[in-house]
Amino acid sequence: MKSRNRKNFPDIALNAARYVFAFIMVALVGALLIKSQGNDPLEALRAIADGAFGSRRAIGTTIRWMTPTLITSISAVIAFRSGIWNVGIEGQMYMGAFMSAVVGYELCLPRGLHIVVCILVAGLSGMLFALIPALLKSYLNVNELISTLMLNYAATFLTEYMTFKYMGFDSSVLADAVATNEMQETARLAKLIPKTSATTAIIIALALAIGVYLFYRYTVKGYEFKMVGENLRFSKYGGVNSRRTFMTIFLVSGFIAGICGGTEMCGNFGKFRTAFATNLGWDGVMVTSIAQNNPLVCVLVSYIWGALKAGSLHLERVTSNNRLIVNIVQALFVLMVSVDFKSLYATFQNHRQYKKLRRQGGSETE
Amino acid sequence: MNIFFSLSTLASMVRLTAPLAFATMGACYGHKAKIFNIGMESYVLISAFFSTLGSYMFKNPWMGLLFGIISGILTSAVFGTFVLHFKGDPFVVGIAMNLGASSLTSLLLLMIFKTRGSFSSPDIVGFSRVNIPFLNNIPIVNEIFNNHYSIVYLAFVAVIFSQILMYKTPFGLRLRGVGINEKASESVGVSVIKYKWYSLILTGIFTGMAGACLPLCGLSMFTENMSAGKGFLAVSAARIGVGDPLKALIACIIFSYVDALSVSLNSINIPSQIVLMAPYVVTVVVMCFTSSDHPKKFSFGRKKKERVSA
Amino acid sequence: MKDIILETKGIVKKFGSLVANNNISIQVERASIHAIIGENGAGKSTLMNMIAGIFKPTLGEIYVGGEKQVFKSPNDAADKGIGMVHQEFMLYPDLKVIDNLMMGFEKTHHGVFLDKKKARIDILKICKGYNFNIPLDEYARDLPVSMKQQVEIVKVLYKGADIIILDEPTSVLTPQGIEGLFNALRLLKSMGKTIILITHKLKEVMEISDAITVLKNGEVMGSVLPRDVNEQILANMMVGRNVLFDTKKSPKTLGEPIFQVENLSAHDDNYVEKVKNVSFDVKKGEIVGIAGVAGSGQTELVECLFGLRKASGGKVIFNGNDITKKSPREHRLAKIGYVPQDRLATGTSVEANITENAIMGYHITHGFKHPMLIDYKQANDFAQQVVNDFRVKTESLKNPVSSLSGGNIQKLVVGREFEQDIDFLIIEDPTRGIDVGAIEFIWQKIIDISQQGISVLLISHELGEVMELSDRILVMYNGEIVGNLKNSDTLDEKEVGLYMLGGKKDEIAQ
Repeated sequence: MKSRNRKNFPDIALNAARYVFAFIMVALVGALLIKSQGNDPLEALRAIADGAFGSRRAIGTTIRWMTPTLITSISAVIAFRSGIWNVGIEGQMYMGAFMSAVVGYELCLPRGLHIVVCILVAGLSGMLFALIPALLKSYLNVNELISTLMLNYAATFLTEYMTFKYMGFDSSVLADAVATNEMQETARLAKLIPKTSATTAIIIALALAIGVYLFYRYTVKGYEFKMVGENLRFSKYGGVNSRRTFMTIFLVSGFIAGICGGTEMCGNFGKFRTAFATNLGWDGVMVTSIAQNNPLVCVLVSYIWGALKAGSLHLERVTSNNRLIVNIVQALFVLMVSVDFKSLYATFQNHRQYKKLRRQGGSETE
Repeated sequence: MNIFFSLSTLASMVRLTAPLAFATMGACYGHKAKIFNIGMESYVLISAFFSTLGSYMFKNPWMGLLFGIISGILTSAVFGTFVLHFKGDPFVVGIAMNLGASSLTSLLLLMIFKTRGSFSSPDIVGFSRVNIPFLNNIPIVNEIFNNHYSIVYLAFVAVIFSQILMYKTPFGLRLRGVGINEKASESVGVSVIKYKWYSLILTGIFTGMAGACLPLCGLSMFTENMSAGKGFLAVSAARIGVGDPLKALIACIIFSYVDALSVSLNSINIPSQIVLMAPYVVTVVVMCFTSSDHPKKFSFGRKKKERVSA
Repeated sequence: MKDIILETKGIVKKFGSLVANNNISIQVERASIHAIIGENGAGKSTLMNMIAGIFKPTLGEIYVGGEKQVFKSPNDAADKGIGMVHQEFMLYPDLKVIDNLMMGFEKTHHGVFLDKKKARIDILKICKGYNFNIPLDEYARDLPVSMKQQVEIVKVLYKGADIIILDEPTSVLTPQGIEGLFNALRLLKSMGKTIILITHKLKEVMEISDAITVLKNGEVMGSVLPRDVNEQILANMMVGRNVLFDTKKSPKTLGEPIFQVENLSAHDDNYVEKVKNVSFDVKKGEIVGIAGVAGSGQTELVECLFGLRKASGGKVIFNGNDITKKSPREHRLAKIGYVPQDRLATGTSVEANITENAIMGYHITHGFKHPMLIDYKQANDFAQQVVNDFRVKTESLKNPVSSLSGGNIQKLVVGREFEQDIDFLIIEDPTRGIDVGAIEFIWQKIIDISQQGISVLLISHELGEVMELSDRILVMYNGEIVGNLKNSDTLDEKEVGLYMLGGKKDEIAQ
């Protein structure tokens, strides 16, 4: 882990403290939240653990929800590491999902090939959708954060509209009931663990994570991507073609986001339903923030994310708690991890020194 | 063709401008003080919920407004604490707050009103309409500008207030100064962190008002995620207007015109998805034309803040 | 009996483990010009920042007019009549001059609204009293540097300062501008203001000051009067050894021109034409210096020459090829190197480690065994070579650049370019804000590299540097090359200064 290597010990300690502190805070607030609803926090925790690790089925569910989170977080890592705020992952994923559902139904191909085609088509559609903000950023300097945010909303409606058109529904059909036809068996990913919801998509996700890690660690392009993020002027001056790099990064990020849509379709859903996965893209953004843009740490964090999701579903089934509590806890965790302990410590030192000075000053004048 | 400039479209444009204008004023203070605040979306949503609650409890929209403002300030205080004191990345803090707010309001909806999705009740009293007598005799203006909810007029007062505060008072001068050059401000004894806090509190107040507009103008109901990107729209409007309240208001009016138009277009057989998409697409298009730093600044990236003392 | 207006007793300032000021005691007489001199990093600015209330001392006391003071903020210091003109101007480029002056000291109607009229009257009164002439309704960003400095001084006076601290005020001015400043300072002194002048230029100190305090490594080396010392004694006090400001030059023969600029024009970010029809050439092995007041278009010119900015007209030819429209990457591949002015914003990525910084550019020009993959052994070897040859003080190549001192970062940036296989090197302000030892070292390296037949274009805001190193001096004024002078021992600094002000525009020496 290169990014850790160059840091000296106090940094590592501070980093560890950051996670420990965040964890304690979150556990406290979560317990209070559950308590406030008149439930027992320990019982809730047991339910979550049960739902996440308790049985083969539970482990399967954890892996199932870990998969999309991991892929979207990798998409976010690519963008954020280079200082590109692509928060349109959600939208790019929707486009990918829709197209792969269509290809999965329309084409008749042998099994392996069909899956590859579906996922590639998904990636390409995600990439095409990312091309819009990428072009606007490169040629009109439109802030990509706002444009991708807006395009997320657009993508939700656009895919809904396309589903209507594609299926030939008229407007009398309720949006909730709208879905494309079931994809063909040849386009579906196999189960990783039989009789659970875990599919082989996790292999794609892990391969992506490791691939991206190796890319940043060992390749010249990875070095350039990283430098662009750390100091744009520096890398321009150093001879990195920043505009092309920006475009590439944006498109790769969109491609991976699209793949997530593809694996979701080929894996669990099997057909495109409008608004099928709210906040999957945002989960990726959160995981990346917690993992501080390190793809390997992303694997760990998205595993926790998957476990929380699986656990929260179980929690809602067996207790009177609402799974929204888990969502709040997740957001809180991101918030707590964002605290910069180093500068807090520096501020604290400064303050103490000033107080000392005041005391000296005070005693002398008396 | 008439539909584009029909009086009802223009009237609903005025009505729809209100929440956006409030939120945009909030965003302008942030823009001028150089606080990058995409967490504003959560301010709007949370204050929408609490103004519903306030109005429901006291059967009075103004109590709702008060609740909205207070919750707006408190939400802003959370953002401020994390960004200004804990030095969190404003982007990460903002996103976490947005997602948290969406879950939190849904949970509160369930806990307090015992319902999912949306909540409406006759006990949620909305703002009443105001008739301005002297407008009655002016034909077109009357149709467009008269008989709106009281808070709509307040929105335009807020814009004028912001314009004066920003450009005619020492407070505004210092606020703008803090955004331009922090070191210079410290050197003349203007506390940067204090003014950033002031700006955040103002943002909280105005987004709180924006939040109150959503459930208390007409529909009298709270819906999950009812902010629907209003906070983001406000941030982009403020960007387009370079933080200048009047210029940003123009952007607001464009956005709400598209919004109003889409309601009218819906009645003439244009698919609802396309109609719903329009405001977001228009925002992107407007940003293409007004991007404050046009290609010329792409030449050589902006200077990064010096982090090391040489 | 001396009338002491300002006194510090045993001031200590620590930044973490670094002691910036150690036990500093000085006395400043009322209505005098007191110079504080020392090398970069001697602790001059730190001391002044404490007197002006920006930093708080770790230990020690400050007395103003005999009373002990503890300043909480710059405003406390301002209340006691202390004002500071910072080296880096504290202006708001996007505000008008009058708003700049009012900031923090606004006059109001009814306590609510800004009263610009009253402020204007007060400011004009000050301007008249002290003979300043500044345009109040222009944006601060549009003012020339010397005018910005005047605005800063007026700002300090407007706040009612009796003690005015000026931090390196002359480093941005032409010789003529310096004279103007000094006249203004003498006038201020005659009207009873006390002035503390921070500088490292000994000639100026001898010319204007009434008392001198020398700092070295954060400690007072001595307080003297100008009539008791000379420049050589001061230099020895500052550095603690005899300084050789003469670099070793041996005669060399110049080759054919390899770098030609023809009628080049360029705009800045706000579409203002900053480079106007500039033509010159650089011969093989030659050091060409470009002198000029800051903001005369040097930055834009250099960015154009390295492909970082689009030219609006004209041509740049290198080795017979037109490289006007080429990207920085292609410039690097053509064996052109560039040492940028701002080592932190442009020259390095402070979060990245030394190796990662050292191979920037090298990864394009030299490449690695496999074109797509980084060979870390090779990368570390190169970084080690830079670190060794340029004496960059660091414990490990894995340390982030932010752990290095300013001088060491500069050596790393310079070294990275020098160690690559280049034919032509553009160097911008190579010695800004670094200590004397490092300056000497880098100067010698520049001379050495030109002996090897590499051509150098040196752009510097320190006229002394240009005159020391260059074979030929081009003077830039208002976007144009107004002088092309052969450097020799007889060339007078004042004469170059005249060119820098555009005074000799009509009689360009060929």
